[in-house]
Amino acid sequence: MKNNRGICFLDNIHTRRKLLGMTMVLPTVIILVALILYPVITNLYLSFTNSNLLKSGSSFIGFQNYAKIFSDKMFSKYAWNTLIWTVFSVVGQLVVGFALALLISRQMRGGTFLRSFLLIPYVVPAVSIALIARWILNSNYGIVNHWLQNMGLVASGQSALSLPVGAMIVVIIFNIWRSYPFPMLIYWAALKGIDKELYEAANVDGANKLQVFLYITLPQLRNTTLTLLILRIAWTATYFDLIWMVTGGGPAGSTTQLPIMIYQNSFGTFQIGYAAAISVILGLILMVFVIAYIRRSKNFAD
Amino acid sequence: MIIMLENKVKKREKHLFRKCLIGAIVALSIGMIAFPLYWMLISSLKPSTELFASPPTIFPKSISLEWYKKAFQNSMVLTYFGNSFIVSSITTVVVTIVATFGAYGLTRFRFVGRKIITVSSLAAYCIPPIMLMVPLYRVVSKLRLISSLLGVIIGHLALTLPFAIWLLISFFKSIPREIEESALVNGASEFTVFRKIAIPLCAPGILSTAILVFILSWNEYLLASVMVSQDSMKTLTVGLANYISNVQIDWGIVMALGTATTIPIVLMFSLIQKYFVEGLTAGAIKG
Repeated sequence: MKNNRGICFLDNIHTRRKLLGMTMVLPTVIILVALILYPVITNLYLSFTNSNLLKSGSSFIGFQNYAKIFSDKMFSKYAWNTLIWTVFSVVGQLVVGFALALLISRQMRGGTFLRSFLLIPYVVPAVSIALIARWILNSNYGIVNHWLQNMGLVASGQSALSLPVGAMIVVIIFNIWRSYPFPMLIYWAALKGIDKELYEAANVDGANKLQVFLYITLPQLRNTTLTLLILRIAWTATYFDLIWMVTGGGPAGSTTQLPIMIYQNSFGTFQIGYAAAISVILGLILMVFVIAYIRRSKNFAD
Repeated sequence: MIIMLENKVKKREKHLFRKCLIGAIVALSIGMIAFPLYWMLISSLKPSTELFASPPTIFPKSISLEWYKKAFQNSMVLTYFGNSFIVSSITTVVVTIVATFGAYGLTRFRFVGRKIITVSSLAAYCIPPIMLMVPLYRVVSKLRLISSLLGVIIGHLALTLPFAIWLLISFFKSIPREIEESALVNGASEFTVFRKIAIPLCAPGILSTAILVFILSWNEYLLASVMVSQDSMKTLTVGLANYISNVQIDWGIVMALGTATTIPIVLMFSLIQKYFVEGLTAGAIKG
């Protein structure tokens, strides 16, 4: 009898803990379902309709939107822009982040201050960066544009932002400027996490500094780099704010990437069915990276 | 003897050279990061004659607050500040409370669906605003919230909750369970343990999550611009972006407002960045 009661008691504690856990998570689940899952499903549904933002009725048109995407010359141009934008932004921020991580992981006076200082761009609003970019590249009064004019890269009275290639370079540089702190921090933590014994062993074996860097430091950072690549590609390929506010996608669509194309189709021509199809395609590409990230993430493992 | 001395001198020279090199790299990186912000600040302080001088002056010859005065004479600017403050504050309070409960529930209790919820909130973290924009807009306009701040707040909840969950999970994981377990053994109820032990232990993590959510919401542009139609409901980022899309841009005013938007955020961040660094590097992301 005593034994039975013991089990019963344990059982109660377990159900109570379960119930408490579920109750605590419930608000999160409700918000995630209502504000993320539902919109994602809506998008999927919209992509098979000819919905218009301003008209209430819509009908099911099967894969017509998708067929239209693949015959749309603009889509392939903007997909190419997305690729250029993503590759250069991501490689740039990882390289800059890694170099600065090496710098701040050195023992030196003012090291903590330097690290804090280098983190600032992480929180500077995109709108501020956009207006700085437009001001320093202003065709008449912009300081950087003035330097570029002196170097002969830009004609006088012209802004670098009015050149198709120039505009793309500018938005990529500013994107690297605002997004390197995250990779920097992660690399910094990873560098600190490398086993000191590995370095000692290498020293004993008489390896020089370059060898230590190439054969110990870099291989140890492989996993970190992969995780960063996945996350950063997913975020950069879908990032809208900065380009929109610096160039609006111009000149002549030269900095329009898929997020801007989605926006223009949603709130410019109001063809939300077509816009939804583009975002589903972008989402499918993204999903590969998201799944890869989740599989690598330790956050949900015990 | 002489050779040894020579070696010593050479070593010292090499050392000095390296110190200079590192100093130069530090100076260069500080310069690259500081320059755009510095330029925004001094542009907002230059009087108009100097602001529109060609070539531009790198160190201002005189300083004036005329642009700030002009900027804040426009009553809309104060409205934008107020709106941003309301949206970010409400988002922060709601998200921090929900995410604290959620992350604690997900890290400390076992129940059916726990894993799938954790994975989904991680996946949700990667879903960008551009994909939520139209569906959320339709919901908000159906609920007739399109001319209130509530629509923006709903959008910001969707954006910041997964991030907050993600950060808080790693904070809760980094505090040892043993203290909580011994309290449980001693007869404290689960909720008491959560309230009196876990929350105080994790307070720096919760506070820094809250501040980061505030910053994210304050900085957000896309959803804030889509969700409202009236000028009086615009947030600061949307109002500012409107200024620079005008044909005639009042650069002095724009720079003053840009500075006023950025400084409080940078200050807030510097308060918590120590905990942010600890939290971010504690576990979540390490591959």
